[in-house]
Amino acid sequence: MLSTFHGLEAARRAMMAQQAALYTTGHNIANANTEGYTRQRVQLEATTPFPTPGLNRPNIPGQMGTGVEAASVERVREYFLDIQYRGENSKLGYWEARADAVAKMEDIMNEPSDSGLAKTMDQFWQALQDLSTHPENEGARSVVRQRGLAVVETFHYLSNSLTQIRTDIGTQIGVTVTKINSILDQISKLNAQIAEIEPNGYLPNDLYDERDRLVDELSKFIDIQVEKHPVGGNALPAAEGTYDVYILNGNEKVYLVQGRTASSISFPDGSDVDDDGVRETPPDTGVGALDIGGTAVSFSNLPSGKLRGLIEGYGYYENGANGNVEGLYPEMLANLDKLAYTFGTLFNAVHEQGYGLNGNTGLAFFSGLDQVNGAAKTIALASDIDDLDNIAAATRDKESGNGNNAINLANVRSLLLSNTTVSLQDGISVDLASLGLPLTSGTIETNYQGWIGQLGVAGEQANRMKSNSETLRQSVEERRQSVSAVSLDEEMMNMIKFQHAYNAAARQITAIDEMLDKIINGMGVVGR
Amino acid sequence: MRITQSMLANNMLKQITRSYEKLDQYQTQLSTGKKITRPSDDPVVAMKGIAYRSNLAEVEQFKRNFSEAYNWVENSDSALDKATQALQRIRELVVQASNDTYEETQRQAIAKEVRQLTEHLVTIANTKVGDKYIFNGAQTTEPPVTVNADGTITVSTNDQQLNIELAKGVYIPVNIPPSTAFGAGNGLFSDLQDLAASLENASTTGDELTGYLDKLDNHLTHLLGVRAELGARMNRIELMEDRIDGQQVIAEKMLSDNEDVDLEKVITDLKTQESVHRAALAVGARIIQPTLVDFLR
Repeated sequence: MLSTFHGLEAARRAMMAQQAALYTTGHNIANANTEGYTRQRVQLEATTPFPTPGLNRPNIPGQMGTGVEAASVERVREYFLDIQYRGENSKLGYWEARADAVAKMEDIMNEPSDSGLAKTMDQFWQALQDLSTHPENEGARSVVRQRGLAVVETFHYLSNSLTQIRTDIGTQIGVTVTKINSILDQISKLNAQIAEIEPNGYLPNDLYDERDRLVDELSKFIDIQVEKHPVGGNALPAAEGTYDVYILNGNEKVYLVQGRTASSISFPDGSDVDDDGVRETPPDTGVGALDIGGTAVSFSNLPSGKLRGLIEGYGYYENGANGNVEGLYPEMLANLDKLAYTFGTLFNAVHEQGYGLNGNTGLAFFSGLDQVNGAAKTIALASDIDDLDNIAAATRDKESGNGNNAINLANVRSLLLSNTTVSLQDGISVDLASLGLPLTSGTIETNYQGWIGQLGVAGEQANRMKSNSETLRQSVEERRQSVSAVSLDEEMMNMIKFQHAYNAAARQITAIDEMLDKIINGMGVVGR
Repeated sequence: MRITQSMLANNMLKQITRSYEKLDQYQTQLSTGKKITRPSDDPVVAMKGIAYRSNLAEVEQFKRNFSEAYNWVENSDSALDKATQALQRIRELVVQASNDTYEETQRQAIAKEVRQLTEHLVTIANTKVGDKYIFNGAQTTEPPVTVNADGTITVSTNDQQLNIELAKGVYIPVNIPPSTAFGAGNGLFSDLQDLAASLENASTTGDELTGYLDKLDNHLTHLLGVRAELGARMNRIELMEDRIDGQQVIAEKMLSDNEDVDLEKVITDLKTQESVHRAALAVGARIIQPTLVDFLR
């Protein structure tokens, strides 16, 4: 036998449930432009019908519906798309960092142009040619000295600027690591909150959104994997649990976040610039390994992402601390050192065999070439060259009009460095093998051209990959938005739907009210 | 696929940004006139660009060296022309003086003129162009011919060749060494001094003077030979300059082909991009569609 008030209860439930749905619609509209917000849906479920099977069940024709309830409020989201998005996002972070590092280097090298190192050297060679036609001319000598000075200063400028940018990248790595550590900390705190709410049978949707947004942000810096970990208790099936965030160090998982605890990333030999107890700025020598919550992760195991891109610009050891420093900036700096050393040493070797206007011989033109390392910063004009007559333009003594050594010097530009000995004009020869030059192939010019070519190729690749991963991320993001974004039309439709359902339920109450009125006030009054 | 307003707006923004990037690229190309502004735009063009620039700088330098070579050869030739004229005059004087009817005083006068012309030849040998003596080999700061205290004249032995590089690895000698031009030791000047002394000597016969004519003719022929060689050298330099001129044109063309933009193409591209951009903006104005909100009371 059904209760007299059965209809009232069913209608009340309907009103409550539609109201909940209407409020959620309002929440969606309110967050239509919130970053990382996922549209929410109230899962409406029919409540348990009456009667339930049992010995004392009333004998009525069938089960009667008892109305509706809002079972849960869930996010409309596809986890698989999140994984794709994060994968593309970390690639984008990596290539962006790399493209940026290359672009800064290109700005400094300024090639091809009429003011780069190549042009400065061209002018120096030209000045020497002019000297060869006017060896006794003070002016021609002075021009050679000034152009030589320009070459030296260009070497200094390039080397110092690249070092400066490299230091800036180091600072940027520090800022990035601090940011990563902060995100890890926030994720662990969200995990803690979620772990407290879920066992009570609630879905903390907005905390989920915030956590997913943080993981998205983190994925740009470093390509992480996420593992869900149920919290137990009375959690709903749709509950997401806590996130464990990890990277793979070989086959071993290194956790950045595990439940409520967050590890921090640091550099074992780095420095703690901001004084927060974490060595977030990489050592000057380059990065060999990272410390993640006490586990040493070698650079080669560091996954893709902005952090890796930055470190590749800054300098790293592929095989522990014993290998050579690799990376965009250290390599270009080393190349400049090699070029400055080779150029200066070779030039000196020819210059020392010539004679100055005053008969002096055996003098060097460039100084500061004691070692290859740092040569681009230390190369300078020898103090002897302050006296212009010491510039050895002649191949023989007491021949003021002899400019043959100036021609020899001008031809240093095109000497093949792979030769063992090179014979120049008037019996002057250079034993390349004994000079121990760091560059042993091509000429001074072709080596430099090759490096600019390599830089261009690196930049071209970085730009192309950046735009590729941007497109891919964009398309994944679109699919994700397609699933999760708020559509105002849809919400309006829902609003009308729920409003009408609400109104209808209210009307139902009125109908039942009239019915009851009939029973209570209208029955048994016949003939009164 | 489910499309929402925010997706439309985001997409729109992305497309317009991309369109701006292209406009920027074309405008940079137009304003710089170069296909590329940094190596990553096109590494091959960048690398070749550096090489072509060096190449062009080298060719331009050789062009500059040519004017030096001309300077040397032309000045040497003009000096030797003057020397030839002076010798011709001396020869005429000797022909006159060898006539036995000439009196002693007349011969004395001729001797004076010969001495003057000899001095003239000394100054010609010591021709200075700019700050260098052109007939003294590599010793360009010192005169090749010196008149000693006893009146004798010494010609230096600085017979070094001065070379100028006029093309890669091609060295052209540009000077005439002193002994080639004026004869070392008992060369031109000692002959002239002997001639003057003979003229001053009253006992010299006309036949003896005629003997000098042979010597003078030898010197004239020799100078002519030297000048012929200078002329030939000049020809060679001119031919080489023609070739270097050609090389310069080629080097400039290669540089230009490599990195200069094709203006017609870029302007066309820019115009196309402009209309695409306008279309994108026009579409953008339409993405803000009315929503259901507009139709609900």
